[in-house]
Amino acid sequence: MDKKAVFNFLKRYLSYIIIAAVALFYTVMSLTGSAKTADLYLLEKIAIAIILAVSLGMVVGFLGELSLGHAGFMCVGAYLGGKVSVILEPVLGNSFPTLLISIIVGGLVAALAGVVIGLPALRLRGDYLAIVTLAFGEIARSLFMNAPEALFGGTTGLKSPRFDKNSLFIVAFAFVLITIAVTQNLLHSKHGRAVTSIRDNEIAARAMGIDVTKYKLLVFMISSFFAGVAGVLFSYSNSRIQSASFDYNYSIEILVMVVLGGIGSINGSIVAATLITFLNVKLQTMLTGDLAVLQNLFYALILIVIVIYKNAPALKTFREKYNFKNFMALFRKKYPIKIRRFSDYGRRKNNQHL
Amino acid sequence: MKFLIALINGLSAGGTYAIIALGYTMVYGIAKMLNFAHGDVIMAGGYMMFVTLTLLGHPLWAVAAAVVFCVVLGIVIERFAYRPLRGASPLAVLITAIGVSSLLQSLAQILFGSATKMPVKLQISGAFKIGSFDIAYSTLITLAVTVVVMAVLTLFVNYSKTGRAMIAVSEDRDAALLMGINTNAIITITFAIGSALAAIAGYLMLCKAPSLSTTLGAMPGIKAFTAAVIGGIGSIPGAMVGGILLGVIESLSYSVPALAPYTDAVEFAILIIVLLVKPSGILGKMRREKV
Amino acid sequence: MKKTAMKVLALVMCALLAATAFVGCGANKADTYVIGMSGPLTGAAAVYGVAVKNSAQMAVDEINAAGGLDGVMFTLEAFDDQHDATKVATNYAAMVDKGMVVSLGCVTTNPGLEFTELSAEDNVFFITPSASANAIVYAGTEDEPEDLYTNGYQMCFADGNQGTVAADYVNTLDYTSIGIFYKSDDPYSKGIYDAFKATLKESIATVEASFVGDGLDFTTQIELLKDCKFIFMPIYYTPASAFMTQAKDKVAADAIYYGCDGFDGIESAEGFDITAIPQEISMLSHFNSKATEGAAAEYIKKYTEKFGAETLNQFGASAYDCVYAIYNAMKEAKAEGKDIAPGMDASELCEILKAKFNGGFTYSGNTGDNITWESTGYVNKTAIAFVIKEANA
Repeated sequence: MDKKAVFNFLKRYLSYIIIAAVALFYTVMSLTGSAKTADLYLLEKIAIAIILAVSLGMVVGFLGELSLGHAGFMCVGAYLGGKVSVILEPVLGNSFPTLLISIIVGGLVAALAGVVIGLPALRLRGDYLAIVTLAFGEIARSLFMNAPEALFGGTTGLKSPRFDKNSLFIVAFAFVLITIAVTQNLLHSKHGRAVTSIRDNEIAARAMGIDVTKYKLLVFMISSFFAGVAGVLFSYSNSRIQSASFDYNYSIEILVMVVLGGIGSINGSIVAATLITFLNVKLQTMLTGDLAVLQNLFYALILIVIVIYKNAPALKTFREKYNFKNFMALFRKKYPIKIRRFSDYGRRKNNQHL
Repeated sequence: MKFLIALINGLSAGGTYAIIALGYTMVYGIAKMLNFAHGDVIMAGGYMMFVTLTLLGHPLWAVAAAVVFCVVLGIVIERFAYRPLRGASPLAVLITAIGVSSLLQSLAQILFGSATKMPVKLQISGAFKIGSFDIAYSTLITLAVTVVVMAVLTLFVNYSKTGRAMIAVSEDRDAALLMGINTNAIITITFAIGSALAAIAGYLMLCKAPSLSTTLGAMPGIKAFTAAVIGGIGSIPGAMVGGILLGVIESLSYSVPALAPYTDAVEFAILIIVLLVKPSGILGKMRREKV
Repeated sequence: MKKTAMKVLALVMCALLAATAFVGCGANKADTYVIGMSGPLTGAAAVYGVAVKNSAQMAVDEINAAGGLDGVMFTLEAFDDQHDATKVATNYAAMVDKGMVVSLGCVTTNPGLEFTELSAEDNVFFITPSASANAIVYAGTEDEPEDLYTNGYQMCFADGNQGTVAADYVNTLDYTSIGIFYKSDDPYSKGIYDAFKATLKESIATVEASFVGDGLDFTTQIELLKDCKFIFMPIYYTPASAFMTQAKDKVAADAIYYGCDGFDGIESAEGFDITAIPQEISMLSHFNSKATEGAAAEYIKKYTEKFGAETLNQFGASAYDCVYAIYNAMKEAKAEGKDIAPGMDASELCEILKAKFNGGFTYSGNTGDNITWESTGYVNKTAIAFVIKEANA
């Protein structure tokens, strides 16, 4: 194998290798009993955050639409998947089949919700999806909380089985790999090219005979499916599903991960989701009082600065000169291979659409 | 009777929503962006009132100070957070707005702490009695302010030179620029007016319920935004209609015990229904996309 | 760009791997008795968490100053959950890392439900000062007794209990109609409301109004309730003070606002002028924050000297009692020859403490005298019907 082939292989599969390595390392650790509970929780949280960020990244980065209700789809998945696990527990026990079935059910119901919400919103141009998903998130929360207590537990939340904490993170990481694989393969397929062409110029795409609504709906549905999967994993990682956890701010937090990681970059979403979750959890037990609020302040500032830096038309020349790629290029002379990002294809010159 | 009282309260709550919604709708119409931080400008104005009240002691000063402060704040936000992104994708602007919203909330929490403040001096109590039922003065004031704001704004937009320039910018920014309109100045003025309205809405909220926290504007902001979309975003009469409609629905829903817990869900469900039936909102115009 | 992102990914993952792996080595073997707690130290509910943390620390310091338990000191490990249930698992793991042998659980109900589950798995004894939902310590119902959480106890009244006691009290008064104002998305408020409704006589008609979320404009609800002479309000003091301020001249001046322990601290709410409210304000509580004699008065004096009156409330008073109850029970058990030593297995200590608490252990402190516990974990003590402010004549 020559170097280029190795590089191409790594380019495509490095994220899988790293994630699998981390999961494997901790599997060994947890089998030998030397993994700390705190780290296993952290891994579960990181895995859930990656699934959420990558799936929201599909909508924001590749569809060019904004969803402010990702936590709402997660809520639907968590409650219904959790309910399935409660029903199945007496029959199949708190076992892997129960987990798998509830994840699939949770994901499918969330995907269905995605279709129902996406159908009216995605037909329209503009910021309608943002508005409708925001509304959907609030409605879902309110309905689950006020549903009869026997059904979804009311205000104290639905009590659902917790999976063995020494192995839940393995399942979670398996689903991280599935999410990344599905997303990457979708985007490198014929359908993916259709989707990016819609993002870059919807009218041109329509003129080319692409069924815009169908493709938008497809991506949105898959994204909702994985949000639902993350919800079920969340329900297995916590003992109770409380609707208060899935508020608007949670959707924003996922959005922050996507934006910080770089809109349109899967690996970026993975890095940002990992870093933010890691920092949040570590700082939670370290910072107290006003320092905890400072953390939010910094996130907000970083968000604004990054978005302006990446998008401001006036900073275009500055951006082209001083960017991360050029900085890294200082360390890399050997393989001057031009990497074309998928989103480079057909990008409009004036950078009007992301 | 009960229904009538709920209706009047709804009109009053709706008036406040309408004034907030005007801020959203004007900024959307002219700058083509969803200013998610609008609700938090209300909150900032509320804290300004609280501070002035402690220092100077009279509600009138407090309201004046809040209006000035919000106008400045609105202009500063527009200048530093939104203007650099003019011409960039709408998504980028929207995300920045969310960032600004979260920035304002955490700043307020650092400066004032998270405990609820009660600027009771702003409260207007007492009621106007007609026969067997009474209408609170605060309700009457809200209704009066809403009508005045609506009238002044309509006159300003339709008959003043600046107002007509605003319409021109909202119709076609490039053409307006070619006609010699300073579009940047017009957008700044729009933000200033929107923020002043936010300060007024903040006062109307606090004179009814003098409880001030960092989330004061968050939910009313989102709901008023919903109202703006229901009425037809970009349309001034639409914001009024949407605001009043939402306020009345909210009030009626709260007064039916079985429905009360679902109030938020009802309001947002109406948004989705309206978008399904008439995507441009009740009074909105559908724009044709030009290639 | 993709390649650089991959490099960062690799770096970050490796760093994480290394960081967590190294931290993993040093398991904490404490030489003190570590008490863990989690509460809202920041955010909207911070006043409760801070009061609990301060009071528990005060009790721990006093015990240590008096020589600890046979010379072995106590340590308090307090973590911030911002009243968010999803943060509890991390805090719990951190407590275990610090070598926790016994716990105060969570300060508020929503996170507390998560804590209950986690601590039950490891069988860690906890007694919560203020997480008052029934499900915090007991999963069963009357028809289906089920004891999953044998390790949990409450120092505060359970919500169901508060609702029942309040309804029993209202049943003795001769009202034909009363108002109820509650927060329908809060388990505390909803829990009391449900129990109250279940116990209330059928001959008493109710006018109900509710609210959700953080909004504090109660115009519509006041309209519904304004003709009631007695309004039961199982809510926290922030919305309650907002309601009273807005309703002061709409509700009749001779009406009574009656709340539960959530009312505690209402008179010191920032900017709330309680004297401007013409109506009577009463509450059902276990702590008299105006006590001038006895244990409660002493606690109030010590607390205000150290931390000021701002965060003085029954949450703190209850936490102070929790620490002493744990200490007393451990001391008695040790005197009885039980093997208690620092760094011992939390589960062993839990069994010892459970035997004490279920076996007639009594405690007297600033939230009540001769307090005992049922095996479900519910507390037995007398409720104080406490008039915070009389009606203006």
